[in-house]
Amino acid sequence: MSDSFRGMTRRDLLKGAAAGLALGLPHPAGAAEPDLVVISGDPGMATRKAVEALGGMSRFVQKGNRVVLKPNMSFASGPERASNTHPAVVVAVAQMCLEAGADQVMVVDNPLQSAELCLRRAGVAEACKGLKNTYVQMFTDHKFYREIKVPQGKVLDRVEVLKEVLDSQVLISLPQAKSHSNTGVSMGVKGLMGLIWDRWSFHSKYNINQALADLATVLRPALTILDATRALTTGGPGGPGEIAKPNLVIAGTDPIAVDSYGVTVAPWYGQQFKGRQVEHLLAASQRGLGKIDVDRLNILRATA
Amino acid sequence: MRAAVQALSLLLFTVLFALANYRLPNWLPADIYLRLDPLLGLSAIVAGRVWVPRAVWGLVLLVATVFVGRFFCSYVCPLGAILDFLDPPLFRRVKRRPLRSDATLRSVKYVVLVLFVAAAAVGSSLVYLLDPISLLTRTYTFALLPPFVGLVNLLLDAVRPVAEAMRWMRLATLSYAQPVFYMSLITFLIFAGIVALGRLSPRFWCRYLCPLGALLSLVSPLGRLRRTVGPECPACGACQDACPMGAALEEGGTRVAECIQCRTCVAVCPEELITFPAAPQLLPAGGSSRPDLTRRGFLYSVAGGVGLGFVVEQSPFTPLQNKAQLIRPPGALPEGEFLTTCIRCSECMKSCLTNTLQPSLWEGGLAGLWTPKLDLRFAACEQECNVCGKVCPTQAIRSLDLEEKTHAKLGTAVLRKEMCLVWAQDKLCLICDEICPYDAIVFRTIEGYRRPFVVASRCNGCGYCELRCPVEGESAIVVAPIGQIRLQTGSYVAEAKRLQLDFKPNPGDDQFILKSEGLRVAPEGHEEGGPQAKPPTPPGTPRSEGATKRPKGFLP
Repeated sequence: MSDSFRGMTRRDLLKGAAAGLALGLPHPAGAAEPDLVVISGDPGMATRKAVEALGGMSRFVQKGNRVVLKPNMSFASGPERASNTHPAVVVAVAQMCLEAGADQVMVVDNPLQSAELCLRRAGVAEACKGLKNTYVQMFTDHKFYREIKVPQGKVLDRVEVLKEVLDSQVLISLPQAKSHSNTGVSMGVKGLMGLIWDRWSFHSKYNINQALADLATVLRPALTILDATRALTTGGPGGPGEIAKPNLVIAGTDPIAVDSYGVTVAPWYGQQFKGRQVEHLLAASQRGLGKIDVDRLNILRATA
Repeated sequence: MRAAVQALSLLLFTVLFALANYRLPNWLPADIYLRLDPLLGLSAIVAGRVWVPRAVWGLVLLVATVFVGRFFCSYVCPLGAILDFLDPPLFRRVKRRPLRSDATLRSVKYVVLVLFVAAAAVGSSLVYLLDPISLLTRTYTFALLPPFVGLVNLLLDAVRPVAEAMRWMRLATLSYAQPVFYMSLITFLIFAGIVALGRLSPRFWCRYLCPLGALLSLVSPLGRLRRTVGPECPACGACQDACPMGAALEEGGTRVAECIQCRTCVAVCPEELITFPAAPQLLPAGGSSRPDLTRRGFLYSVAGGVGLGFVVEQSPFTPLQNKAQLIRPPGALPEGEFLTTCIRCSECMKSCLTNTLQPSLWEGGLAGLWTPKLDLRFAACEQECNVCGKVCPTQAIRSLDLEEKTHAKLGTAVLRKEMCLVWAQDKLCLICDEICPYDAIVFRTIEGYRRPFVVASRCNGCGYCELRCPVEGESAIVVAPIGQIRLQTGSYVAEAKRLQLDFKPNPGDDQFILKSEGLRVAPEGHEEGGPQAKPPTPPGTPRSEGATKRPKGFLP
């Protein structure tokens, strides 16, 4: 079974395929589900379409599941600054999770600025207000984290992870596409740093690129949906910086593939790169965590 | 009745205190109790030689006192309410005899008042030490709020397992940020001392020490409501024993200046002879209404105040004021005016969103006790918050809108290269750049490594870099007061423009409008990449770049 289908039963696969066919999406011949889905359009609608193209949310979320959504919302700024995930993306995913029968959807982050302000300014809390059993919460206290081992870690042997992630069944990563002054880009893999307690040691103690790859061995989102409707191409991760408008939502089960494709949709710091050129993505792919060469993948493109 | 009014007033004081946070609406004066205190406004104006518009509120209380009498102490003062409410549980069993030194002690509050006003006249603000409203607000912030939040969090932790089991997720994830302050203990001890003095005499504080009470008693004898005892008074002494202020005299006399109109005497009089009738016009100050301060005592207090003022003022700290390392809140007046108008009420520190505002101990000398400073290693100044000026009752911190506040430069970040991971150890670290909200950190390639520099004209001193610097111990990037903008009047934006500074917390389009320039799906459906993916380098970018030009995190 390929990496991208990790965590899926055959039954789900068939269901998903059926759903895809029913929607009349242009599937490339010979494949049930694409490795990557790239949808252009309004953030909310593109997100919905992307998940449908991957076989629908029921492929990832079962009835009664506790789901954790991890968008970027750790800066006190709105979508216009492109350092946080667009609220419409988060709301669309939360809704689909609930439709798939999720018991609870917890939208989380560990913010870099005042938690209260981030909650207000990022707009996610406001947007999720009407949704049942959906909570938007910042976890800034140590007591909400629990240490786990990193058996395959090269530089990291243990890490304190948000308990909510460990105690729930599904993790969905909803990163914002942005530049990062240290790791080149910050997308799905880098975004997972918002689920751990001590992110500062990544910068000071370890080689951050290796540490990120280590972290990706233990935090494995079932689905990654990259918000590249806007891309902060310089000045990341917090901005201010230049903002490109690729107008794309990129989704897939392989977090490396999603990020790798995301690298190609905008020029970072004025230059065009491939996923392979992003050190932490390369490190993660070398650990067998995903496919980095997107030109070999089965990609579905559509507009919403 | 009185207890109910007191309880309400204390509740209002507490609610306003709680509301003093970054969400405070502009129309709500959370600092109203402090504004109403004429002593604080007077001291700020006299000591600071500046006009304080908010001090006009103090006239409301003064005028009310002139017309009614010293009702503030018994009905409104939140400290008085606390002392009254704590008295029965703490001292019910204590047999308190009238103090022999009552007459001397009574004059102490006038001495204190004159002392503070004299000190203010020589340019030294000391009234905060004993002003009841400032003192109580300070006690709330430093001594009561932190343990209160701690207790709430302990309770939440206790019910958390149940909440988790019941899937009450709001409760299960609820936890409040714990405020912490320097000088909590000393603030608490002062408050506890004031409460403990009640053991010697009821309302010992109000009776003997409170300078605000002293100020009000200067005008209260004019008040229309005055204690009147019927001529049939058998001089049983019940009212004398019961009066918490020692204002009831033998045979129906009253020390009008001391009387706070609490009407305790009315309740205890067995003959029901005591009334507080409203006089038709302002009463002339009677013989027993003069404040208990002799001419000699007055002169000594003036001399003492002037002396104390000089001691506080004339130290090397004063000439060094503008060279101190302290980072003051955004919008703080120039240091001299700031120190003299700040009344140390701590509203700014209480309301501070990030808890970075902390009281100073000796850092600013005696004149700087309890004044707010930023502890940026502990927390940064949030660019979306301007509450400290909003709640400042004397406007020692000017109330600024967010745009103005952003331009009230606190200082400039300075890189200490010998400690910086990148400069000293060639490590990969760019947290200061990552976190900077103003894009004031840039990288230049030096000796093959991309190293951080501070662009001083873009740095407004918010301190996020200092806060987040991962170096253990002291930060390798520290905000110093270099280039701080402190204006008594006028626009910070204009001043920043004049100095060619450029803080851009929120650039670009405020509304998020999608330019529908998205992916065009080719009819064949196998075109690789987005529209921008075609050229390896966008036009305008030099192609022949060395490895050094490649941004960090990318490989060749």
